[in-house]
Amino acid sequence: MSAQQTPVPTAWTTGWTTVFDTGTWRSQLPVHMWRPAPCFVSCPLGNEIPLWIRSITGGSEEDYKAAWDKVVENDPFPAIIGRVCHHPCETDCNRQALEQPVAINSLEQYLGDLALEKGWTLPPAGESQGKKVAVVGGGPAGLSCAYQLRRFGYDVTIFEARDTVGGLLKFGIPEYRLPQTVADAEIKRVLDLGIEVKAGEAIDTADKLEALRKSYDAVFLAIGAQKAKRLPYLGDDARILIGLDFLEDVSRGKDPVLGDKVAVIGGGSAAMDVARTLRRLGKTVQLIALEGRNELPAQEDEILEALEEGVSLFDGAMVASLDTSKPLMELSCKKVLLDKEALAKGEIKPIPLEGSDFKLEAHQIIVTIGQDPTLDGFDTVVATEGGMIKTNGGPAANVPGIFAGGDVATMDRYVSRAIGQGKEAARAIAAYLGHPEIVPLPDYTLDDAVARNEINPFYFPIAAREERGHTAVTKRLRSFADVKIGYSEGQALSEADRCMSCGTCVECDNCYIFCSDMAVKKAPEKEEHYIILEQYCKGCGLCAAECPRGCIIMKQESK
Amino acid sequence: MIETKKHYDIPEEDVFLSGHFACPGCGEALAVRYVLNTMGPDTIAVVPPSCISIISGAQPYSSMKIPVYQTTLEASAASAAGIKRALIRQGKDHVNVLALAGDGGTYDIGFQALSGAAERNEDFVYVCLDNEGYMNTGAQKSGASPHLVNTAFTPGGKPTVKKNVVEIMAAHGIPYVATATTGFPDDLARKVAKARDMKGLRFIVVLTPCLAGWGVKDDEGVKVSRLAVDTGMWPLYEVEYGTKYTINRGPQGVPVMEYLKLQSRYRHLTPEMADELQRETDRAWELLQARATCVVSVSNAEPIP
Ligand SMILES: Cc1cc2nc3c(=O)[nH]c(=O)nc-3n(C[C@H](O)[C@H](O)[C@H](O)COP(=O)(O)OP(=O)(O)OC[C@H]3O[C@@H](n4cnc5c(N)ncnc54)[C@H](O)[C@@H]3O)c2cc1C
Ligand SMILES: Cc1ncc(C[n+]2csc(CCOP(=O)(O)OP(=O)(O)O)c2C)c(N)n1
Ligand code: SF4
Ligand code: SF4
Ligand code: SF4
Ligand code: SF4
Ligand SMILES: [Mg+2]
Repeated sequence: MSAQQTPVPTAWTTGWTTVFDTGTWRSQLPVHMWRPAPCFVSCPLGNEIPLWIRSITGGSEEDYKAAWDKVVENDPFPAIIGRVCHHPCETDCNRQALEQPVAINSLEQYLGDLALEKGWTLPPAGESQGKKVAVVGGGPAGLSCAYQLRRFGYDVTIFEARDTVGGLLKFGIPEYRLPQTVADAEIKRVLDLGIEVKAGEAIDTADKLEALRKSYDAVFLAIGAQKAKRLPYLGDDARILIGLDFLEDVSRGKDPVLGDKVAVIGGGSAAMDVARTLRRLGKTVQLIALEGRNELPAQEDEILEALEEGVSLFDGAMVASLDTSKPLMELSCKKVLLDKEALAKGEIKPIPLEGSDFKLEAHQIIVTIGQDPTLDGFDTVVATEGGMIKTNGGPAANVPGIFAGGDVATMDRYVSRAIGQGKEAARAIAAYLGHPEIVPLPDYTLDDAVARNEINPFYFPIAAREERGHTAVTKRLRSFADVKIGYSEGQALSEADRCMSCGTCVECDNCYIFCSDMAVKKAPEKEEHYIILEQYCKGCGLCAAECPRGCIIMKQESK
Repeated sequence: MIETKKHYDIPEEDVFLSGHFACPGCGEALAVRYVLNTMGPDTIAVVPPSCISIISGAQPYSSMKIPVYQTTLEASAASAAGIKRALIRQGKDHVNVLALAGDGGTYDIGFQALSGAAERNEDFVYVCLDNEGYMNTGAQKSGASPHLVNTAFTPGGKPTVKKNVVEIMAAHGIPYVATATTGFPDDLARKVAKARDMKGLRFIVVLTPCLAGWGVKDDEGVKVSRLAVDTGMWPLYEVEYGTKYTINRGPQGVPVMEYLKLQSRYRHLTPEMADELQRETDRAWELLQARATCVVSVSNAEPIP
């Protein structure tokens, strides 16, 4: 027999297993997908946190610039927000399950300050759409809206009642928490995009508003909540002042004439600001709040800092009556408990405690118990509700072409919310004006976000959070120096490294590495970076389990 | 020590193919991927009866793009030694020979051939894929089954301890002995590459969770493998010439219960039994550290001619 005729023994291989469709065994298929991180979902202005934090980890100036560019898509004020945001993003950060949340807010400050130092500029205004929008009120909501509208290519004019824009960023939040040089620089950068400002022009009557409606294609109302709440039962002695006025005076360099002893009434952030400003002016401060220590609406770190600075806190207390007959006024106070049922409904109902009376003395009393919008004149043009402009759940008022956002339209009164609502309003206005590129943004909830149990902890060794430095109390009391000391580059890098990129694939290749069927193929050209070979995938779920960050979900298949 | 990896970077040759018949999520198949794709195409494999022989392909199809010789359960090491000697005769010394056997075929049935090959320092790589039982035939107990585990032959828990095959092989004084597992694929690949590039008998035992046999969820094999290491039940280490120890990763302070509770083969454990396994693990780790610190200069340990 010749060699050609030798039969192949049956035990010899004649083909490869790649002809088999082991995928038919499967009942579920992995799908690579971008998923929202909980920090992103919780940020009121839609900050795409994992993306820009990842850029920081690159470690070069270009990487930092790329990170900043990403941040300013949603927020033109990272140096401001990096100092004043109440950071709900950190509260919901998945890293909490391991040790502590990522210090997102500190990283924003780092990028924001770096941008100011390097003189980075915002992307230029978009191609002109040939339409113009009036923004009423130049606080964070108005400025954010104006900024986004410029990016969409609209002409914008801001009508601002005061002599300059900025709103509470300039006349509310004190210097030691937000240096005016920082606020001014970030605001200027926005205005430099070609935004017209008409300062000293209040739009405060129905006629003026109607006139704006006629001469502009759309109007955004962002006049904030500027009318301070008062306590009429204390009388109208000239020594009873209003917190917002006091803060504005101090910010304008006016030295208010005050005695040594001052009582501040209020338990929120604004009251803390008044109390701490007074301490910097050398006053003895007695802070009286209805809420108990753990119910105070102010942020915990503000309360701690106020106490460090020597503010005397009388929590769970109220001023029952006031004797103004002497130069040193006498405050008759009582301890109170807040009615729990009312509190659950968001109402404050103090119940005085028998025999808990005590007295305080003060040269001045500064009432800082919240603000309402001034809507006189507007309420004949747009519908109002609960003392605010009524909107459709989004930014649109009940009249076509009028939109509202920020403190005038929400009780969620934060700078981040104001910036977020300004951005949403700009998108809604652009859509209303028929902009060709506006697609609605998906509205995610925490239920959609990558959950803590979807994070594979093996890939994230314990790493302590970098804390920002704090200026020493003695220095704080002598000046209005910035309380929070920004990160060094090294701190920023090591903190950025702690972010787990929840839901955003970083091409770590784990899914590829752990598939025993070689059913995950790399595809750098595709948005998801990987392809599942459905012919072979047996649906074991290992790739999803070993994805450190929840970027793969197993989709049930019915056969 | 092996640190947690942010990015694995494992060079692979294209030897092991999709479409094989391993169970979904199989640890043994995952190990085969990194063993074969590291050994490379210039390799002849010897496979005895075991799950590996199933994975290697239903005849006449193969999942391994290299020549594979299916030998008997007793004879892996003898077959590998014979093939290598023949290759040397043919002037093809550059071709690697790889024996790829289960724990039953290594610790027990094939042990005589293996010990003999080690004593002669035959020139091939022997990889034992240790799933702690005769899994292909229905999860019977082997010499590799751990103490107190439930198997088809030890329903109440295995009364004897797992044979320490690493120390046995190291005691032969062969050039290289190492442990590995699928949860640390880069460590596995590095050890295979190191063994490939040496001469003489190189022995690697890879702990490969068997999902069906151990009662582990389809997507938890890798987690279980990592816990085997991090609890100290399967320390990752290397022994060169029987004397030079390198510990790659030992227990990370995780109680053994964290490993045991993910596996239904340990479902019957009483708290006392679990404590006993914890004590044994602690003791074994202490012993290993003592051996590793008892330094003998490698230059004194000449390779056997
Ligand atoms: C003391 C204080 C401290 C605070 N600290 C923080 C903090 O640390 N972090 C945080 O997130 N939030 C803080 N807040 C809340 C935050 O400042 C506000 O939620 C935010 O500024 C609201 O932005 P806005 O643009 O809606 O309104 P505003 O900032 O109030 O701006 C409104 C603007 O509209 C102008 N305006 C008013 N009426 C008219 C009119 N009729 N015509 C034209 N212009 C008009 C005003 O002059 C002002 O410039 C603080 C608030 C106070 C009072
Ligand atoms: C001498 C001999 N005894 C028994 C068998 C039957 N048999 C085939 S595979 C196998 C199990 C082998 O177990 P192991 O080596 O641990 O490999 P696994 O299947 O667990 O991967 C047995 C017992 C055989 N082929 N030869
Ligand atoms: S703006 Fe506030 S909530 Fe949003 S990312 Fe920054 S700190 Fe977090
Ligand atoms: S780890 Fe990073 S991506 Fe995940 S929630 Fe925290 S900040 Fe967001
Ligand atoms: S690891 Fe592989 S086989 Fe398992 S589900 Fe993922 S792609 Fe499919
Ligand atoms: S495992 Fe890594 S590469 Fe795969 S999807 Fe997750 S993040 Fe991306
Ligand atoms: Mg076995």
